[in-house]
Amino acid sequence: MIEISLRLPLARFALEIDARFTSASVAVMGRSGSGKTSLLESLAGLRRGARGRLVVGGHMLLDSAVGMDVPPEARRMGYVPQDSLLFPHLTAQENVRFGVRKGRPSRVDEAVALLELEPLLHRYPATLSGGERQRVALARALATDPALLLLDEPLAALDVALKERVLPYLLRIRDEARVPLLYVTHQLGEARVLAQEALLLEEGRVRAVGPADAVLGGVTRGLLGMEPEENILEGSLERPAEGGLRLRVAEGFSLWVPDAANLAAGVHAAYAVLAEDILLSVGPLTGVSARNVLEGTVRRSEEAGVGDRVLLVEVAGVSLAVRVTEGAVRELRVVEGSRVFLAVKTSACRRLR
Amino acid sequence: MSEGELPLVFFSLTVAALATLFILPPGVAVAYGLARWEGAGKGLVETLLSLPLVLPPTAVGLVLLELLARGSPLGRALDALGVEVVFTPKAVVLASAVMAFPLLVRAARSGFEEVDPRLVAVARTLGDSRVRAFFRVTLPLAWRGVLTGALLAFSRALGEFGATVLVAGNIPGRTQTLSLAIFHRTQLGQDAEALRLAGIATFIAFAAIYATEILSRRREARARA
Repeated sequence: MIEISLRLPLARFALEIDARFTSASVAVMGRSGSGKTSLLESLAGLRRGARGRLVVGGHMLLDSAVGMDVPPEARRMGYVPQDSLLFPHLTAQENVRFGVRKGRPSRVDEAVALLELEPLLHRYPATLSGGERQRVALARALATDPALLLLDEPLAALDVALKERVLPYLLRIRDEARVPLLYVTHQLGEARVLAQEALLLEEGRVRAVGPADAVLGGVTRGLLGMEPEENILEGSLERPAEGGLRLRVAEGFSLWVPDAANLAAGVHAAYAVLAEDILLSVGPLTGVSARNVLEGTVRRSEEAGVGDRVLLVEVAGVSLAVRVTEGAVRELRVVEGSRVFLAVKTSACRRLR
Repeated sequence: MSEGELPLVFFSLTVAALATLFILPPGVAVAYGLARWEGAGKGLVETLLSLPLVLPPTAVGLVLLELLARGSPLGRALDALGVEVVFTPKAVVLASAVMAFPLLVRAARSGFEEVDPRLVAVARTLGDSRVRAFFRVTLPLAWRGVLTGALLAFSRALGEFGATVLVAGNIPGRTQTLSLAIFHRTQLGQDAEALRLAGIATFIAFAAIYATEILSRRREARARA
């Protein structure tokens, strides 16, 4: 349970946030400079001048009415900044153990195992890749047995390939270590796969708050200043009689995915499909090599940089982002409400877990 | 080294080391404060702290002498305590310390400025108090600047002449340091001896700087490995 009632003057506006969260994962979204990082820093106790009330898991962190402001070292917030900020003079192991104190619970072994850090423990941060550094930073925060993990765009500094390798670890922290997450991100896909609840900020104020589906379903790109480029699809795996492997995303929406011997039917899995890897057609698709042909309705059409548009297409109740050129949209006369067909190559589906 | 030179070298090294040790805690504190503090009057404080660097050392010595003189409030207080400073080895340490202080602060401060304050913020969220975070994160990351500053201060203290000669005099066997002795010997026309003392001073300075280089290189290699 997270209770936020916060007032904090910033340079251009004041942060005024009132929200309550009951789930184990909250996505905080909004365009750059909307106050997301300030909110995280306020929760961590790193911002002076914050007023209001902050309660996390029954612990009062801030109550300016009675002059209470718990210092950061006593708040038990696991803070993971965007650029990981490992201590450069310490090895990975010393970094992970940094917050461990005698007589207080520690989750070092669990964190090292969960984030698969064993081979990296004796290396210095300068020799680690971006993804490895981010994993060490996650373990360092996790090892202190935090009441809440504050993640400030932990994947933003990573390229797509690395992102895919770190995201599964975040899911493991949420599902196996069972530490609640407050997660700042610009990626709609990440937010969808990670969060149960979402908070959308605009100029320091709450624009929308509530269950992730409700909040994220209604956002527009302009509001987020972000690109919903990556579709993250979750579901259970099926092994049909004719062979191969299928991900059942929703009733009437299954996706052929690359086969792998170690994956059994019934397993819950998540896959990523880039928006530009999806082919769009206004007529039924036959005789194409892509095995996945889906039928859906265009719900929104938005500009995405120079000469491109991103269409949000609803397929069996699930929203998919599809990137197409402006020219194609004009030629095909695709507008909001159009019936369209999507083709997704099996190889374009990359497994996250 | 002749028999008279060994105590001289020992005395000079002790004075320089003591002066450095005495200014290390306040110097590090002031350097850290200047690196982190952004307030009105910062420029004024910086200028005041740098004054001994640009003033003639003899002027600094004169000010110290006036401050410690029998008639001054400080001099009277010391007198009451039975502490004698002027023209004693204590005065040598004091003069060297005052002259070396700005050098220590300048180098240590640039060391502290290189430390990302956000690393300290992360340390705080990991359970470190302000003080603990300073000793576990800030100081280990700024150590090169602090060490360079301490070394510069030590070398400056070793070579101090102008302020020392005013406050402590040039009393062989009591307040005479290497640099005072070099001057003294040339005055007496003992150029060969003066030259040998200069050689010794060069050797000490060289050894100190070389040792620091080796130390910092070893540390850096470990962080890269």
